[in-house]
Amino acid sequence: MLPRKSLALLIAGVPALIAADAKGVDFNRDIRPILSDNCFACHGPDEGKRMAGIRLDTKEGALAALTPGRPETSRLYLRVAHADPKQRMPPLSTGRTLNTQQVELIQKWIAGGAEWKLHWSYEKPERRELPAVKNKKWARNAIDNFVLATLEKENLPPSAEADRVTLLRRLSFDLTGLPPTPAEVDLFTKDKSANAYEKQVERLLASPHYGERMAMPWLDVARYADTHGFHIDSHRDMWPWRDWVIRAFNSNMPFDRFTVEQLAGDLLPNATIDQKIASGFNRNHMINYEGGAIPDEYLVEYVADRSETTSTVWMAMTMTCARCHDHKYDPIKQKDYYRMFAFFNSVKEKGLDGRDGNADPLLRLPSGEQQQRLDELTARIKTRDAELTDEKVKPALEQWEKQRLALLNYAAPAGLREGLLAHYEMDGTVNDHSGAYRHGLVLRGEPAMVLTSVGKATLFPTTSRVALGKMEFGDEYSIAAWLVQGHHEPQTVLQQAGRLSVWWDASEPLPHLRQGAHLHVETPGAHVRTRDRLVQAEQYHVAILHSQAGGVTIRINGQPVPVVREAESSVKRGEPGVLAIGEEKDTDQRNGFRGRIADLRIYSRVLAENELRYLAVDHRLAHMLTVPVKLRPKELTQRLREHYLAHVAPAETKAAWADLKQLREQKAQLDDAIPNTMVMSEMEKPRETFVLTRGDYRNHGETVTPNVPAVLPPLAANAKPDRLALANWLVDPQHPLTARVAVNRYWQNYFGIGLVKSSENFGTQGDAPSHPELLDWLATEFQRTGWDVKAMQRFIVTSATYRQSSKTTAALTERDPENRLLARMSRFRLSAELVRDNALAISGLLNRKIGGQSSYPYQPPGIWEEISRGEIFSAQVYKESKGEDLYRRGMYWFWKRTAPPASLSTFDAPDREKCVVRRSVTNTPLQALTLLNDPTYIEASRVLAQNVLREAGADPSKRLTLAFRRVTGRVPDTREAKVLSDLAAKQMARYARDPKGALALVSIGETPVDKALPAAELAAWTNVATVLLNMDEAITKE
Amino acid sequence: MNFKREMQLLETRRQFFGKGARGVSVAALASLMGNAAPTGGQPGVPHFAAKAKRVIWLHQSGGPSQLDLFDYKPQLKKYHGSELPGSIRMGQRITGMTSRQASFPCAASIFKFEQAGKAGMWMSELIPHHKKIADDICLIKSVHTDAINHDPAITFIQSGSQQPGRPSIGAWVSYGLGSETQELPSFVVLLSQQNSVNADQPLFSRLWGAGFLPSRYQGVRLRSGKDPVLYLADPAGIEREGRREMLDALQAMNKMREEAYHDPEIDTRIQQYEMAYKMQASVPDLTDLSKEPPATFALYGEDARKPGTYAANCLLARRLVERGVRFVQLYHKGWDQHGNLPRDLALQCKASDQGAAALVQDLKQRGMLDEMLVVWGGEFGRTVYCQGKLTDTDYGRDHHPRNFTMWMAGGGMKRGFQMGETDDYSYNIVREPVHIHDIQATLLHCLGVDHTKLTYKFQGRWFRLTDVHGNVVKPLLA
Repeated sequence: MLPRKSLALLIAGVPALIAADAKGVDFNRDIRPILSDNCFACHGPDEGKRMAGIRLDTKEGALAALTPGRPETSRLYLRVAHADPKQRMPPLSTGRTLNTQQVELIQKWIAGGAEWKLHWSYEKPERRELPAVKNKKWARNAIDNFVLATLEKENLPPSAEADRVTLLRRLSFDLTGLPPTPAEVDLFTKDKSANAYEKQVERLLASPHYGERMAMPWLDVARYADTHGFHIDSHRDMWPWRDWVIRAFNSNMPFDRFTVEQLAGDLLPNATIDQKIASGFNRNHMINYEGGAIPDEYLVEYVADRSETTSTVWMAMTMTCARCHDHKYDPIKQKDYYRMFAFFNSVKEKGLDGRDGNADPLLRLPSGEQQQRLDELTARIKTRDAELTDEKVKPALEQWEKQRLALLNYAAPAGLREGLLAHYEMDGTVNDHSGAYRHGLVLRGEPAMVLTSVGKATLFPTTSRVALGKMEFGDEYSIAAWLVQGHHEPQTVLQQAGRLSVWWDASEPLPHLRQGAHLHVETPGAHVRTRDRLVQAEQYHVAILHSQAGGVTIRINGQPVPVVREAESSVKRGEPGVLAIGEEKDTDQRNGFRGRIADLRIYSRVLAENELRYLAVDHRLAHMLTVPVKLRPKELTQRLREHYLAHVAPAETKAAWADLKQLREQKAQLDDAIPNTMVMSEMEKPRETFVLTRGDYRNHGETVTPNVPAVLPPLAANAKPDRLALANWLVDPQHPLTARVAVNRYWQNYFGIGLVKSSENFGTQGDAPSHPELLDWLATEFQRTGWDVKAMQRFIVTSATYRQSSKTTAALTERDPENRLLARMSRFRLSAELVRDNALAISGLLNRKIGGQSSYPYQPPGIWEEISRGEIFSAQVYKESKGEDLYRRGMYWFWKRTAPPASLSTFDAPDREKCVVRRSVTNTPLQALTLLNDPTYIEASRVLAQNVLREAGADPSKRLTLAFRRVTGRVPDTREAKVLSDLAAKQMARYARDPKGALALVSIGETPVDKALPAAELAAWTNVATVLLNMDEAITKE
Repeated sequence: MNFKREMQLLETRRQFFGKGARGVSVAALASLMGNAAPTGGQPGVPHFAAKAKRVIWLHQSGGPSQLDLFDYKPQLKKYHGSELPGSIRMGQRITGMTSRQASFPCAASIFKFEQAGKAGMWMSELIPHHKKIADDICLIKSVHTDAINHDPAITFIQSGSQQPGRPSIGAWVSYGLGSETQELPSFVVLLSQQNSVNADQPLFSRLWGAGFLPSRYQGVRLRSGKDPVLYLADPAGIEREGRREMLDALQAMNKMREEAYHDPEIDTRIQQYEMAYKMQASVPDLTDLSKEPPATFALYGEDARKPGTYAANCLLARRLVERGVRFVQLYHKGWDQHGNLPRDLALQCKASDQGAAALVQDLKQRGMLDEMLVVWGGEFGRTVYCQGKLTDTDYGRDHHPRNFTMWMAGGGMKRGFQMGETDDYSYNIVREPVHIHDIQATLLHCLGVDHTKLTYKFQGRWFRLTDVHGNVVKPLLA
């Protein structure tokens, strides 16, 4: 058996495939891959690892190891052909071996004069004459000449043109990502004009969905996501950048501008907002906020990611291989790596960031209206601030403090002890200080004392329960306490069977990394909750007043607050049980109490206004005032000032303060509503860049300045070496890689595999191009047309090569399994997003809105929650969208890096942690389960069935034809129709017997069921539609 | 199921196995339904005779404290509360959480230790059940890693690289060795939530991702609940027979397309739908623990009856490997004891000690331990110095990458063996360091895989799990 590696080389294919017939030996095609794969690691560019002083990656080096024309005296040949395995190269220890064919090739090459060429991709693309072909009629444009010339050499005929239905479906998926409607198919099939196909191409290129389609693979290469990744993986907003990409494609922005604006839009003279947004390309990398992570380490990682992504996307160069040492295969020095790194090393950013939304530097994007409002508020706040300066307020404030302190002395309103059933001061204990000796009994938890701004409080760190004893309230009662919710899970505060339940529901995120829950009060027959969420970990004075006449009212910090009345109360009147803090057992619904309580009072009467004010305001004020001025923390001083301004100051000042507070609140809300996006921006003074020994952020070697690898053309001589110069250099006509790499990725979009299969690597270890001259022709054409992106797509899809049928034969598959020779069109599964878009479009559910915030389609619960960090961070809990947002295109699915959309991952969507240039295309049982059982698809099937039943009337064959056409574009043949109508009949019979099952099935999904249709019939046709949507044909671009 | 259906399924199965399986008898095919020759691995792998065939990796996520579980340091009592000497710390980097701490007082473990097994392994009172498997495991007290924070450290242990993007170890193993089951994924992931009180650490799907390997090698998360595999259950209103009817029609449609297009992918898709159909029966059968005898629950503990618990997941892991699953990766969240270590570590141990020990005992009883590898450990250890306030009964510990304890048991490994030694502070390794890449290399070795030869070419470079490092730890091998 052949060693595995050489086997891999043979299978990898095209070079070997063609080499078998080739008369001469071509260095780049035949020899370099052998040397690179087997020899360069020890005899290549890496000086540190070079053995015996021999290098085979340069002409000089190779000539020192061989004599052109004389293999028998060439050391290189003698060593690889050596009979003694111990002497033979490569050494056994490397695990690499040359096979006989490879040794023979080396022998032939040396015998033929050992011609040496620079690695093909470092040479500028050359536009050759179109090759001559025998079949003159077939070719429609230059692409076809190159493809046909190869086919004729291989004695393979091209395939016939695909039928029109297939062509339009292929074209629609390729240019818009959406299937054609039957009406569009009809128009095209009936169009007898000579340019019928071209008209369709133009129509689809002009569609606003063209921009979306082109953006999809770009989001992969740009590692676009809606979260920061790494440990915390909280929310970020880069959708303004994503929308810029869609606009750029739709307006057919030339690729050179597309490049410059994304790499250096911020550095363009008088950069527009759009150009700055575009520069966000290199802010799409992950950003860490793990507590304890070391900022310097991550600063290096961000820069490394930028330079790696940029090199991969524009040059298909594997720069990262040179991060720790010189590149082992390509002529890239470690120093070259850090020179490239230096271009991206001066962003005004922090090593740890992304705690709360976007990380600096960012660009706020207010709408015109928002900006106007913002200016107005800012001006008004400024005016008010001027009225309330310290100078103006402080003397009166200080005087008031003195007076108040003298007066205060904790003077409680007379009669405050009246009706006091129990009073738990909560000083770390749960003892009753009312004199009634209703001491609490800790049943679980370990309460502890903490000091708070209202004095001592009892802290319950774990879920706790404290029995306070039997207390009979009657119908008039008050409960008052300082409360802090200490955990996000729902928990019971107080409970008395038969009478009362006070509890927090689950905390949910609020703006600015806070979270909060509603406070619920349930009594027999009534259930009220606060309208707004109370912030977790913040201290509130809560008073619950119950009167026979008025029912329940809730006071927060002494003030009545808006409440919502819920329909049902879980408390049923009965014999009153023991009043207790916390829940008996922790359940999914409710836990024991976790948090803080202070000054818990229970009264058998409704507290009066002055009493409530005393408990909530004066009492606290007393605590604040008694802290000596010198010892007051800033926050306390601030609070006292605010108290004075709100309650004590002269009326005019009070009004000014109230207005200021409101203005600030409005501005805060407005600030929250204004979107922002992360952008590039340079530091005033560039950060110094060092070669990092072994790639470690701690090991600084020599200092380097920004520059490009020596093997490529130099930067423009007069340009300042910055990102803008780098971007301009990439799109300079002299650059050998940029145009080739770009057109190769376009090719990959259409044919599944690029002309260079390794679209991420054009280096010596990458795959050789299957059609090198075609690649060069396309690259030069791209440049010649001024980098016209739409023109390039048009050029490819109007070729005869593209228009071939994708039917194959066993013999052709055997000969060319990956279709590298292009004797037919490639046939492969739609990408993850398109599988879903297609089903939604066919059913009519698709929401075609372009751009904006990402959405949250159906996803089973727990996918995020089981692995996420939780707590206060954003994007930790998946909140399914409602209504139209459920049906947006897959590319708008909120992309959480540590838990990407589950059903898209199943279809090979990447996690977007790193730049991905090529997705794998797998075929797995999990995909089958998703298409059969995910509510997204069941709902799509049902809605498709619903539409078909409504539109096609009662005739089953009409229904079938309509449904089939929506899914495939074509009419089913008689065999197909029979299979499906048999299925429809059988399923009808089933659901006639099982009306409950029918109803259950058709009720899946948010879209209302058409009640006019019999459920059994709809269910049966839903299943027929499911079969249609699961057909290989339905999810494949043919 | 009728005879015709049975024959159709056999036919699809035959196609599934490719040409080589054509013409084998029905009986032989039937045997293929169970454990059988692996499919989908790489040619030439295993590179040599494998001692173990399958792996269960128990990852205690967050970094269990070696000082309070295995690495017994009686001398520390003396140093309790005193500053960690500079001669020990040697200026090593520490995390951003304690780097601003004014002092680094040593905290001795408050837990009692006892020796267990013939090798005299020290184990603390928190893990009494572990004492029963002391004679079955290799205890390695000198494991060290490169990373100091969770994200890079756990990524490192699971993929051999601190930075995201590489395939996980389970993906490498499935890629190399292929699958022994056609009814379950070859790489399965189980999660158990934390039992400790303090906030815990997240996990990331990359930890079981395929990186640059084809995505079919990624781990499949098996969830507790109605749909252990995503979208496994038929929707409400579709009965099995009705589903079969649909699948028959679907397969007929696909066959006709195949006749027209001759695309082998269509054939593959037909097989995948049949496999999905089988999984709908085999997975619920797998997760249904009701037929386990009482003895099982006596061994694993009553907790094992509650889906999603650590004990239940250990039991599930055994049932998975019994059915031929190649790699089971279990995560237990909640081992990050920066504060309240005595309370929280005790809670974590209470929830996991019995399950982990039971798994080893159970495999042994069934004669399966010889062909299994069980690995237990976290992504790093914890510091001897206290994080936060040190009292007589309470302390916290920060991340410590320089040494920590793991254990491995199973085919190819010694039994009741311990190696590695740390200094009096459990701060530095003094004897027999074992790097994470060495653990990975050793694991692959037991599976018959040369870690330098299981490679995949990506971006022009041949990548491997152990990067360019790693040595098989020979002393651990039987």
